[in-house]
Amino acid sequence: MIRRLIERRRYMREHRWTHAHLSDYLDDDLSPEERERVEDHVGICPHCRRVLRTLRRTLESLMELSAEPRPRVADGVIDRLRREP
Amino acid sequence: MSAPVGTCDERQLVERSQAGDRLAFEELVRRHADRLYAVVLRFVADADEAEEVTQDAFLSAWRSIDKFEFRSRFFTWLYRIGINEAKRRSERGAPAGAVGSIEDSPIEEAPDWSEAPEFRAEQGQLRGVLEHAVRALPLDYRAPLILRDVEGLSTQEAAELMGLGEAAFKSRLHRARLAVRRAVDEYYLEAER
Repeated sequence: MIRRLIERRRYMREHRWTHAHLSDYLDDDLSPEERERVEDHVGICPHCRRVLRTLRRTLESLMELSAEPRPRVADGVIDRLRREP
Repeated sequence: MSAPVGTCDERQLVERSQAGDRLAFEELVRRHADRLYAVVLRFVADADEAEEVTQDAFLSAWRSIDKFEFRSRFFTWLYRIGINEAKRRSERGAPAGAVGSIEDSPIEEAPDWSEAPEFRAEQGQLRGVLEHAVRALPLDYRAPLILRDVEGLSTQEAAELMGLGEAAFKSRLHRARLAVRRAVDEYYLEAER
């Protein structure tokens, strides 16, 4: 009983830590030990595994989110600059 | 005789601009206007306002170019001017007392859509979901996400641009990413119903 409680507390601690460091993991901003810590937890937690996978896809999609280009933005700036005293 | 501006590197163009060479500054405009416009567009109401803010930012940069001390890259300095102006306008247009909130906790019952074949940002509906989720972020969270994940600045550059320490910047970025991710959760959950 006590052992199960200790394991549960340890699991929740790892769960919170992993959730807080998923971006660091994807940005490769963790030490090898910290990466292993994330991977160990993700290996046993379906919730964090799903969040990690979908977060990775979200970041890939954000990179494709370029704005619609607008023609002649630079020309408009230069026109205004030339009207400056 | 000075080299043609088109052959100058950025430092030379800035130095010539600081000496009053307007043609050199116009070359800086040609090199950076589209990118600055794309960033500013994420913070203001529409394309017309984004163009106006872009123009204001360059004018402001021209007037204060002598204050630029090469402590950062020119475009980082320019972005800061543009984003500050865009944020100022955006906050002016917000309802009095409005407080931005951010909902970033995952939805437990949402499906795993990471392998969904239709999940491509270029596809109209999902692109719309992402655009809307980004725009719904409070400005202090939207800026890190745009600079780092859409514009591809390094964490260090983007944090410096926002005047934040790296830890504070990364914390906001993580919450912003989770909030956008959650919006896609909501989209798929809705689609399942």
